[in-house]
Amino acid sequence: MGILVVAEHRQGKIQDPTWEVLGKAGEVAVSAHTEVKAVLMGDAVSDLASELARYPVNEVLVVEDPRLKDYTPEGYGAALAALLEHEEAELVLTSHTATGYEFLPRVAADMDRPLVTAAMDVSLVDGLVVATRTGYNGKVAVEIAMEGGGPAFVTLRPATFTPPEPGPKRAPVTPVDVDLSALQIRREVQGYEKPESEDVDIAEADVVVTVGRGIKKKENIRLAEDLAAALGGVVGASRPIVDNGWLPRSRQVGSSGKTVAPKLYVACGVSGAMQHLTGMKGSQTIVAINIDPTAPIFSVAHYGAIGDLLEIIPSLLRELEKA
Amino acid sequence: MNVVVCVKQVANPELQYRIRDDALDIVRDNLTFQVNGPDEYALEEAVRLREAHGGKVTAIAAGPERVTEVLRQAMAKGADEAIRVDLPDGREFDPSYTGQTLAQAIQALDVDLVLCGVQSDDYAHGATGPILASHLGIPHASVVTRVEVEDDRVRVNRELEGGLEERVTLPLPALLTIQFGINEPRFASVAAILKATRQSIQEVTAASAEGASRLTVRRMYIPEVTQQAEMLEGSVDEVARRLAAILREKGLVPEG
Ligand SMILES: Cc1cc2nc3c(=O)[nH]c(=O)nc-3n(C[C@H](O)[C@H](O)[C@H](O)COP(=O)(O)OP(=O)(O)OC[C@H]3O[C@@H](n4cnc5c(N)ncnc54)[C@H](O)[C@@H]3O)c2cc1C
Ligand SMILES: Nc1ncnc2c1ncn2[C@@H]1O[C@H](COP(=O)(O)O)[C@@H](O)[C@H]1O
Repeated sequence: MGILVVAEHRQGKIQDPTWEVLGKAGEVAVSAHTEVKAVLMGDAVSDLASELARYPVNEVLVVEDPRLKDYTPEGYGAALAALLEHEEAELVLTSHTATGYEFLPRVAADMDRPLVTAAMDVSLVDGLVVATRTGYNGKVAVEIAMEGGGPAFVTLRPATFTPPEPGPKRAPVTPVDVDLSALQIRREVQGYEKPESEDVDIAEADVVVTVGRGIKKKENIRLAEDLAAALGGVVGASRPIVDNGWLPRSRQVGSSGKTVAPKLYVACGVSGAMQHLTGMKGSQTIVAINIDPTAPIFSVAHYGAIGDLLEIIPSLLRELEKA
Repeated sequence: MNVVVCVKQVANPELQYRIRDDALDIVRDNLTFQVNGPDEYALEEAVRLREAHGGKVTAIAAGPERVTEVLRQAMAKGADEAIRVDLPDGREFDPSYTGQTLAQAIQALDVDLVLCGVQSDDYAHGATGPILASHLGIPHASVVTRVEVEDDRVRVNRELEGGLEERVTLPLPALLTIQFGINEPRFASVAAILKATRQSIQEVTAASAEGASRLTVRRMYIPEVTQQAEMLEGSVDEVARRLAAILREKGLVPEG
């Protein structure tokens, strides 16, 4: 019995959210008096296995197969299901990333087991897994009991838990032979691409003034530009602003955009969705201008200016002009 | 090319929510509803595929009677047929339940491609699509930003974290979850909206997915804001003055 953490890796590197999941898994294991095992699936991944072994886990289980060289939901799903025939676990964790929430729900459905995604907390008490997540744009939290176990599948929200430090000890690395003879992977991986851009690099700026949907119209972005100019910064954007074509993709802050950590971050009309917070919560001073005092952005903001940004920004500009 | 697109009706995320006294659900009086954001992109993608390859687009929504509104909107924007699968309110937190319910309706159809949105605006599980793909036994790809159908395969780009894209191909039939921004959803013409009010919507009652459900809500609550921000409230000018003073104090306003 215990907790399995499925490690996410790409292009020869363990992905950062995996460390956070290991951190949380360790916490849960201590209070539930159980073990954490990291699961690594791939082909020729011994380097990554030894890297995982330096972290506080009881064991690193490695499933290697040429068909697991590239990640696919079918490959990971079959390998994980086969592994779970050898390894009894109460809880299987991975991160809520484009990879994690692509394959784990499918495995849970294939195996007919309980699933919660994007959890911000999880506990294991007397064999019962309880996961907490938010709903309604982060305005409501819900605690969910996952009945029927054997195991419960949970993806954990990134940028929520503290990654552990590697220690001097080495956990044992165990290759696991699973039967993948029936595995047929229908999805083919062609490669990766990263669109290049020549715009300003918002990650380099000391001050980022970000506009969200609260800006309402493209023409209003000028207000944010003026504010950015007054503060010596650049304009960033939440994703919907970029999707609307109001600002280039290079300005997007968040999990699918850039991660920024400027001295000052001013969020104008940004609600603070998980994918946005991931990209800016490390900023030194965070100011949020928002008409809704309950917006989730205030869970990371240091100062909240409550009101209509179309009025507050012009007034703030006048104040900043005064010597 | 037969495309099924799953469109969900969600409670307006801008609302203030209250919790029922038994702390097991939100208070559902006075909610207003709208179509789930990414599903608009999924629908547009489906209609474009039909325009390019022929076939038909079927929109499916699981929910109470009320969700016929989003199905009519979908027909006004180009869906040929619409199906409502009955699903009572209150199971939004459980994508396994919803996935199983939708699967029962889709299993009966002849489909080449199933499109979902990347996630719902209310619970953001990002899970219904993969669960549906499991029940249908077809391959899938999540967070798709580009779709190209070539004969019996579909070539897609998936969006990963940090702006990286993965290119994959899948044989049809397949399921994709469509990311915001993949296209520019069209507006419905008044004539199309009128026509859609007269089109029929097929009603399906799925066998209860109760067996699929292993989740029980223990408690629902309004989360406490963990790190209390200093809130500046009052008149616009007061708020702006205080904010300017704070920024100056912290040395965040360039001189001159
Ligand atoms: C796979 C995936 C990746 C994603 N990646 C990213 C990402 O990298 N970056 C990102 O930002 N999002 C990302 N998203 C989208 C994210 O989930 C949210 O939808 C998005 O961040 C919301 O943007 P927003 O805050 O601008 O809009 P909303 O959530 O609509 O918020 C608008 C805010 O403006 C406020 N407001 C309205 N009017 C006014 C006014 N007059 N004055 C002041 N305030 C006002 C409202 O109270 C509200 O809080 C991603 C989603 C997915 C599924
Ligand atoms: N009740 C529903 N009716 C129709 N489609 C749904 C429903 N619930 C979820 N979906 C589809 O599944 C996608 C992802 O939802 P979720 O897993 O809840 O984040 C949505 O964008 C829809 O395409």
